[in-house]
Amino acid sequence: MKKIFLFIMVSTAFWGCDKLLEFEPGDVVIDETALETPEDAQRLLNSNYDVLGNLYDGRVQNIAELLSDNLAFPDNNNDFIAVFNRETNFFTTGTGSVYTDLYRAVYRGNALIQNFDLIEGLTEDEQTRMEAEVRFIRALCHWQAVKLWAQPYGWTANNTHLGVPIRREASQEPLLRSTVGEVYDFILEDLQYARSNLPEQNDVYADRNSATALLANVYFLMGDYANAASLASEVIESGQYTLDEDIDRYEVETTNTETIFGIVGSLIDNRSENFRDNYRSDNNPDPNLTFSADVAELLSLNASDARNEWVTAGGDLNLVNKFNGKEFFNIPILYLTTMKLMRAEALAHSGGNLSTAIEDINDIRDRAFGEGLNDLDPSSTTEEVIAAARAEYRKETLCEGVWIDQLKRMGVAGENITVRGAPYDCPGMAIQFPNGETTSEGFILNEEGGCL
Amino acid sequence: MNRSKALSALLVAVCISLGGYAQTLKGKVTGTSGEALPYATVIVVQTSNGTFTDDDGNFVLELEPGIFDVRASFVGYENLTKPITIADGETKTLNFELKEDGVFLDDVVVVGYGVQRKREVTGAIEKIDSKTVTSMPTPSFESTLQGQAAGVQVSQGSGAAGAGSLIRVRGIASVSAGGDPLYVVDGIPITQDYFLRGNSGALNNNPLASINPNDIESVEILKDAAATGIYGSRGANGVILITTKRGSQKGTKFEFSTRHGIATPASLPNMLNTEQYLQLRQEAWENDGGTGYVWLPGYTAVGSDAASREAAFLEAMNTDTDWVDETVGTGFKQMYNFGVRNGGKKHGLYAGITYDDNQSYLIGNSYERISGRANFDYTFNRWLKLMFSGSVSRGINNKVDVAWSGGLGSAMSTALPYYGIRYEEDVLDDDGNVIHEAGDFITQWTNPVAAQELKKWRTTEDRSINNLSLMLTPVEDLIIKVGGGFDFMHIREDIFNPAALSVTSDLGTADRFANYVLNWNYSATVNYLWDYGEYHKFNFLLGTEFQRSDAYGYSTTYFDVTGPVWEVDSLREDAANVNRTENNPSQWSFLSYFGRVNYTLKDKYVFQGTARVDGSSRFGRNNRYGFFPSISAGWIVSEENFMKGIERINFLKIRSSYGITGNAAIPDYARFGTFSQDNNGILYNGQPIIFPLQLANPNLRWETSATWDAGIELGLLDDRITMELGVYRKMSRDVLLNVNVSPSTGFTNYWDNVAQILNRGVEFSIKTRNVVGKFNWTTDLNISRNYNELVDIGDYTPDAVSGGTNDSRVIVGQPVGSFYLVEFSHVDPDNGLPVYIDLEGNETYDYDNAIRKYVGDGLPDVIGGVTNSFQWKNWDLSALMTFSIGAKIFDSSSKRQLGVVTDWNMRTEIYDRWRQPGDLSTFPRLTLDETTYGLPSGFPWWNTDLFVFDASYVRVRNLTLGYNFQNVKVKNLDFNQFRVAFNVTNLFTLTNFPGLDPEVVRDFENAQDRNLSPNVTYLTPPQERAYNIQINISF
Repeated sequence: MKKIFLFIMVSTAFWGCDKLLEFEPGDVVIDETALETPEDAQRLLNSNYDVLGNLYDGRVQNIAELLSDNLAFPDNNNDFIAVFNRETNFFTTGTGSVYTDLYRAVYRGNALIQNFDLIEGLTEDEQTRMEAEVRFIRALCHWQAVKLWAQPYGWTANNTHLGVPIRREASQEPLLRSTVGEVYDFILEDLQYARSNLPEQNDVYADRNSATALLANVYFLMGDYANAASLASEVIESGQYTLDEDIDRYEVETTNTETIFGIVGSLIDNRSENFRDNYRSDNNPDPNLTFSADVAELLSLNASDARNEWVTAGGDLNLVNKFNGKEFFNIPILYLTTMKLMRAEALAHSGGNLSTAIEDINDIRDRAFGEGLNDLDPSSTTEEVIAAARAEYRKETLCEGVWIDQLKRMGVAGENITVRGAPYDCPGMAIQFPNGETTSEGFILNEEGGCL
Repeated sequence: MNRSKALSALLVAVCISLGGYAQTLKGKVTGTSGEALPYATVIVVQTSNGTFTDDDGNFVLELEPGIFDVRASFVGYENLTKPITIADGETKTLNFELKEDGVFLDDVVVVGYGVQRKREVTGAIEKIDSKTVTSMPTPSFESTLQGQAAGVQVSQGSGAAGAGSLIRVRGIASVSAGGDPLYVVDGIPITQDYFLRGNSGALNNNPLASINPNDIESVEILKDAAATGIYGSRGANGVILITTKRGSQKGTKFEFSTRHGIATPASLPNMLNTEQYLQLRQEAWENDGGTGYVWLPGYTAVGSDAASREAAFLEAMNTDTDWVDETVGTGFKQMYNFGVRNGGKKHGLYAGITYDDNQSYLIGNSYERISGRANFDYTFNRWLKLMFSGSVSRGINNKVDVAWSGGLGSAMSTALPYYGIRYEEDVLDDDGNVIHEAGDFITQWTNPVAAQELKKWRTTEDRSINNLSLMLTPVEDLIIKVGGGFDFMHIREDIFNPAALSVTSDLGTADRFANYVLNWNYSATVNYLWDYGEYHKFNFLLGTEFQRSDAYGYSTTYFDVTGPVWEVDSLREDAANVNRTENNPSQWSFLSYFGRVNYTLKDKYVFQGTARVDGSSRFGRNNRYGFFPSISAGWIVSEENFMKGIERINFLKIRSSYGITGNAAIPDYARFGTFSQDNNGILYNGQPIIFPLQLANPNLRWETSATWDAGIELGLLDDRITMELGVYRKMSRDVLLNVNVSPSTGFTNYWDNVAQILNRGVEFSIKTRNVVGKFNWTTDLNISRNYNELVDIGDYTPDAVSGGTNDSRVIVGQPVGSFYLVEFSHVDPDNGLPVYIDLEGNETYDYDNAIRKYVGDGLPDVIGGVTNSFQWKNWDLSALMTFSIGAKIFDSSSKRQLGVVTDWNMRTEIYDRWRQPGDLSTFPRLTLDETTYGLPSGFPWWNTDLFVFDASYVRVRNLTLGYNFQNVKVKNLDFNQFRVAFNVTNLFTLTNFPGLDPEVVRDFENAQDRNLSPNVTYLTPPQERAYNIQINISF
């Protein structure tokens, strides 16, 4: 009896005093109460776009561009030099932070999906729309990661080579790398869901066409040209996007008419700073990033090519003018020009309608050279169409970090592709994972240093 | 209250009321000098009947007729027992003259929530007295503990003013949670945050710097679970109890001391001069295939044309600045301390005031402290006593940049010798306008002199530690103590950068970073002493304690101002030109219940059990409370009859203990999963966002250490030789790691209870009075060996936890904080390239981070100290030598000073480099290109064990020569001490370490870094060598 009494006394003392031991951090919200209303859910979803904004402000694009043959040796930036020399290691912070941010977006999206049931008043339609947006971003991030941190799709017969971890759930458990095939399957699954469930229009956020356009790009890199062409056509023919007369797609405060999906920037948030600060040559005679001689030559092949404006060649450096004069701007990620050029090449590869392909190419050339001034001949062969589509694609997408994807695609397809003297698939072309991935046993790193 | 005792008290009362006693014993209890001892205890041993003396020391006892032993006792005096025979109806007088307990201070040690006689202590406790703490001037009091206590590693941080020390009690048992011992001042666990100001200026805040060593009566270091168990959740890394001086019982006594001295660096770096640097840089350039003159940082770039390179080179040769000389000088020190002790029948008072101005050898660097203390005791009557301890202090640290932040650090790195300090003539622009006047500082390149002269920078710390307690003795042997403590810390760091150093302000920019920490503590204990019969003595303690700490802070920046906040009165927080940011408050609390039982059988078998339950706000409901028990026993063998014949052994005790202690020193909110608020200021497309900040871990719990300890204490030849041998084994489990998680989780870090750490070791200390007589020579030696091993870190790899930028890692099977670097083999004599060893043991030219491995660690195998004290007539001489054997230092800045030629100056050791085929050299061919050394492009961090050195050392830490004037009398003042002493610290050091100083504690980023990287140096300033004259007077 005494013991019971003592126990009750002690327990009472403990519970009574327990509130003395309750402190919660200030200026933050405890996770248990963070997601309660539909507004909370929307704000968490907005933060996913915020992460994309911090990634596609030039950070991701610069890394991918440095792997290609579009840029010269970078100045004064150890991380850039490591990427350019294909010698990233797990201490390379610039690449490591991009990798982490890609998965930061993935975590936030997964956390939202997992917590839908905590949110009161969220309609089923809203929930579906949000999940579709999350899965679009999740697919985009996994795709970006697998393109940079693994050898390309098709590199092994069944894509059994290692890709990146697949994060379907918000969790702190370490995950090992899945195969590239598995990662692509996951991406396709997410994008199909997004395509089926995203709204037709969704302000600056992902809509149905965003998912379709991204899916077309994914198929294109997978070498599934029929699907790529068909999906690209769907977007092009939706009639929602028109080619701007101006070759400059980096608009300030407005969204370019050909943007299918992109990043919205403002002066406050600096969401374009990694383009601005590394390329601008009007306020810096010695920018970190400049065009390679190869690109300078490509642009200067035809004096009437409007894209000539993008380079000031002739000195030691081929200065990039593409971002001059702007403090901030919006950044298109998926847009009509690439849809058309991709469709053109896809149609040519898949035995599709060549005249559509030629029209697509000429739409772009008309803008660059003037209406009808440098059109591709309607009787061009398949090979000529492919060559023209690629040349335009490379020029149009300079600095955007997507040319390297095409080079790898060509390499996988059996073409003899070398990038600055090294095979497209030499070990350093897959960026090394950040050190944090090695803190758990079993994670296999990329091979290093085989490109020299 | 014990039932039988209550019953006997009742019986006594009944007997008295029935007039059962007609026999009376009267008497008086006094000290040897006749002073009355009020409230002394007088007890009849056979009946346990007793009483207290009154205010005048008188007592009266009623007795039955018979033969009794009567014992008188009083705190601070030896007990005295006298026999008495009393006949029926007789009244007798029995006076007691108690001798002052001469060995009181030496014989009693402070333990948590009480004191114990040293002979009866069952735990491992080291006691250091006030004399030691004030024996030498140090940047902060705790560094005087170096070499004084077995098993306690004390490394002084650096010679910078106010720099703290790193103290490890029996090795390091934590990884990410704080690994420092718990500091308790007069019963209050004080605020001990080293990172309130992060790593500002490459000097961590030292929370102990404001403690005045002159106030300290004794420092006890609790080492094993029997000793630290009473502090439960916070005892795992040891406890340091600081007890301040209190009033004496004999009238009034004044103390005065003053010290004056100078500080110089204990060692200096050998940097290259201009001619040497340019020559070696040119050699690197030519080795790399360059032609013409090499390009020079500050003048030209890698792509500059040959003509500009030549012009720059020739111009650079005109300047030769010795930046070390420009940043290092002689510091002056002065200290004045005045104290008074006063005591009467009812009260005791200690009051002291100290001014201490401690300049370091770094030009512009000092720590100035003014502090006052009043400790007051008042005895109202025999059952109520009040005790108050209060201190206020202000510490002003005039700061300079050190290490990576600048100053001497710059002189050892990016301040190249061909850089000038000031313009020698006016500099004009193209239009003929003067843009720099002759004499202006040149700030276009690293100029530590300009930074030191122009930047105004100080940290002001106000600190007040106070404690008020009431001691109630309602019945004999029952002591109830109720107390409250308040520790207030207010730190302001002010930085003013004038326009010359500030790019954002026309005049200048003033920053203030303020932090407040309010730390409350309440405790209540009940202590009951019970002797059962002749042989059984019990001491029961029950207690509860609550502690809470609230930390606040803000930072303000004032633009376009002319001076720092402390100088310019117009800088108000509501001014228009201010930008203010509030820090989030950080709060924690502990709620604890504890108990201790001491049982002594026949004065020779001693047992102790302690238990503590701690609840902490840092843990969630799942694991909020922890239970920390300990048991221990001691056997005073020398009390046994079979030892009586062995006269040479006057004391022998064997003791052992086992217990569990814990550690909860993690960030206050580590367990919470958190999201940002929606007003975080970040928008996307004009819309607010919220996002997760931190992963939750509701299961976070204490680290626990299970410690087994055993020891032998021996006194020989009437304590002419005393020695103590101890062994211990501490296994720490659930060790908290802030692991670098897989970035694919979307996070970079996560707190978890993961690791296991083993510390085991042996400690030995011996004190011998070698010569006794007119000439006295005493030797104190302590030596200890600790073995530290990280036993387990779950499924994680060594990179899961790292010590800041220091390349120290967690490697299973190796000590905590091992160096994880690429193994360097040799320089290939054929081509001068560095050769590394890969994981299979093969030689390779490729530096690859994947072949990093354990190459050593910074934990010493053996540490200790030896003090020899000599006394002859009025002279005394004491020499403290400390030693550390087996630790290694990773001299991390050497990779830049002795590696790839960059924009860093280099050390003269670089002359031992390869120049031509066949050369056998320490360093490879010089190069400006990291890939020459096999490093990846863009990766200049040449992290190899070429820069891991043996840091064993023996150091003459302190040498003091003193003269004691005898019988000094000035007018009515009779001086009982008048001493003059000359003192040198860090006189010389024997070591093979080629760097600056083998005793190093660099600046840290956080507690984890502090645990993992103690012996990494990165431009860390050397220790100081100080020469001082000190005068101590008391009267």
